[in-house]
Amino acid sequence: MLNILIIGNGQCGNRILDAINRDAFGTKGRFAKYLSHQKYKSNVQTIAINTAVNDLKEMKFTKAKDRIHTPHLHGVGANRNVGKHVFEDNKTLIMKNIHDRGDFDVAFVITSASGGTGSSFTPMLIRELKEKCKFPIYAMVILPFREEGTLYLQNAAFCLKDLRESGADGIILADNQFLKQMGGNVESAYNGINDMIARRLLFLLDALDSEMMMVTDLGDFKTVMNGGAGLATIGFYEADSEMPIKSVIKKALSPEGLLFSTDAYQEASRSMIIIRGDRKYMSIDEVSSEVEQLSSCVGQVFKGIIIRNDELPQVLTVLTLESAVELENLYAIAVEAINYERLKKERVDSNKEVDRAFSQINGMDPSY
Amino acid sequence: MDHFGKTLTFISLAVFLLLISAGSASGKTLFNDTIEEGDGYQINNYVIEVAEVVYEHEVATIHVYEDESKTPKYDKFLSLGDSFTFTIEGEDVEVTLISVYSGISNRAKLSITITDASIINSKTLGEVDGGHTAAVFPKTPILEIIKTVEPDGIGTGDVVTVKVSVTNTGDGDAEKVIFSDSSPAKFVLQETLIAPTGQTTIKKGEMRLIYVYTLRSTESGTFVFDPSTAVYSNSIGDDFPQASSNAPVIEVEDSSKKANLDVVLVLDKYTVDRRDDLEGTIRMKNTGASSASAVTVNLLVPTGLEYSGGDPGIEIISGVPTVYMESFGVQQEKEISFRLKAIDEGTYTLSTQSSYLFSDGINPNAQSASSTSVTNAIYVKKGKYDYLLEQPIYVYIVPLLVIGIIAGLLYYRHRQYKF
Repeated sequence: MLNILIIGNGQCGNRILDAINRDAFGTKGRFAKYLSHQKYKSNVQTIAINTAVNDLKEMKFTKAKDRIHTPHLHGVGANRNVGKHVFEDNKTLIMKNIHDRGDFDVAFVITSASGGTGSSFTPMLIRELKEKCKFPIYAMVILPFREEGTLYLQNAAFCLKDLRESGADGIILADNQFLKQMGGNVESAYNGINDMIARRLLFLLDALDSEMMMVTDLGDFKTVMNGGAGLATIGFYEADSEMPIKSVIKKALSPEGLLFSTDAYQEASRSMIIIRGDRKYMSIDEVSSEVEQLSSCVGQVFKGIIIRNDELPQVLTVLTLESAVELENLYAIAVEAINYERLKKERVDSNKEVDRAFSQINGMDPSY
Repeated sequence: MDHFGKTLTFISLAVFLLLISAGSASGKTLFNDTIEEGDGYQINNYVIEVAEVVYEHEVATIHVYEDESKTPKYDKFLSLGDSFTFTIEGEDVEVTLISVYSGISNRAKLSITITDASIINSKTLGEVDGGHTAAVFPKTPILEIIKTVEPDGIGTGDVVTVKVSVTNTGDGDAEKVIFSDSSPAKFVLQETLIAPTGQTTIKKGEMRLIYVYTLRSTESGTFVFDPSTAVYSNSIGDDFPQASSNAPVIEVEDSSKKANLDVVLVLDKYTVDRRDDLEGTIRMKNTGASSASAVTVNLLVPTGLEYSGGDPGIEIISGVPTVYMESFGVQQEKEISFRLKAIDEGTYTLSTQSSYLFSDGINPNAQSASSTSVTNAIYVKKGKYDYLLEQPIYVYIVPLLVIGIIAGLLYYRHRQYKF
């Protein structure tokens, strides 16, 4: 049994972590936490960290002892510099909480790249963990909508850079901008994205600790994640009716199933495909055909098959990327945003006209 | 021998005469003395008067008068030793002339006996100077009293006039007459027009109005007026039996205006399971001819049922659901709903106790009235889940333990997730 640590930083990380804990009960009812227990195959420890207490209070399926509040008013206001100071102030508390939970085989840290707390805490937390622990740590990073604002874009750019430098063993990307194809209103869109990410992670955790017809384990996952430029994404598809397994694999590798916009056959460096479902769907010819097609493009493809009676076929793919055009696009926009913010600040600093206007009444008092 | 024979004959004759005299004048001797000419001796209403004494002839004329008649009933001429007998009230009275005497007025000695003296009125016994003309005779007044009540059929609150009159139909005056009269209950004296002031005299043949007064009736019914009475005596002081009048009867019909509050209790069902609710209605109607005021209707809920609410008109006063209304007009109707909960098994009846005031138009003060009403029997059966309460204790403990454990687990989980 694997010992797995999942940390959710900031509002986005908290919500995805809560969705994981909720789905782990097997049912989505609000009373599931009273009537059932979480069905993790592994020993999974979850921790939610936030500077905003209200975000922690909104969590419904994460135990109170697993929520760490690092007090700073009600959040850091998307200011990563403030966030870094808060983390420094609460580092001992956070690390002690993690240390008290024992040793782990792998850790995932989930965060938004654009917010304040998550984007500032996560790189520093991973750096601290890497200095003190030997298990691999992977960051699950959610990229912002491009139109969310210059501060968020700026935060995303610097967060990703800091993560690359933090020693993280891999960065798994999920892009809100890419996932907004789901449609719906803002709340349902965010909830839908959170649910998608939660479900993929749960599938992955389940697969890493399951008995398989064809085995993929944590070691394989590490190998996959070591490939490429340290960036990865996950694809997933579940058939809603009986359909050939090759079609399910293709959909898991298509934009319909991926969390980040990429061409799996062009940009992937290594890949893992995990197939789950009833034995009748597991056509070895179709699976081999699709794996061969992918491996011919990306090189190494690890495949695992989990037999679950009476389940429709589901496929999870983990892709590490050699390149990411979409990420370059993001950084291009982020640079513009950084420049815009810098110029604006310079203008405000250099513009003294307002001060001159106020200085005209210096030393004067009102007369009535 | 002849002498002995004469003597024997004389003795026998004497005995015979003695027996004769004894047989005709036996009884009590009332008088044995002299009476002057013109005087008399009175026994009751008879006067034995010595009308004339002729000393020279040793005779006397005796008249016997009855009452005030100027003609003697008996006129007897007696020689010495003569007697005559007459009857007074069935008793024989014998008068014997004993002797005569001369003087300014001649006198006769009379012996008067009577067979039974008990009939004699002592007040009219004895010598009467002046004879018959000076005698005083006892009279018998007879008072006839008539009592009338008019009219003899009235309604409550109406006035009747009572008249009591007396007529002396006897042969003498009634003296020291004392009247008494009483009014029946449920009548109130309104006015006295005539009333006797004390003892009075009713002359022979006189008719007089003794009482005239008016009464007001207060209740309906048949009423008998007690007779008016009178006690009296005659001129010589003889008391007579009390005279009584007739006893008039009158009918008094109920003509007062009353309020009559009909209170009826109706329930939606009369068989109910324990813990179930009953819907009830108090239906009130004033069927009387007068408005009711201060109407109070108490709903008497038996133990085993519980009052659980009702219309705003019902207040709980001292634990009793009570309907109170300042006034309730003629023919006014009202329905008030309430709810009961069946608490215990059993058979119960629900009742109301009503009280109210009204003006009957007769009495100045408000009249009070009350009434009660009762429902049919209400059967409270065993409740749907009552069998649960009849199980052995362990039947409850196990589920309670399970519930307790589940509740504990839920609370534990709640605490786990409460941040």
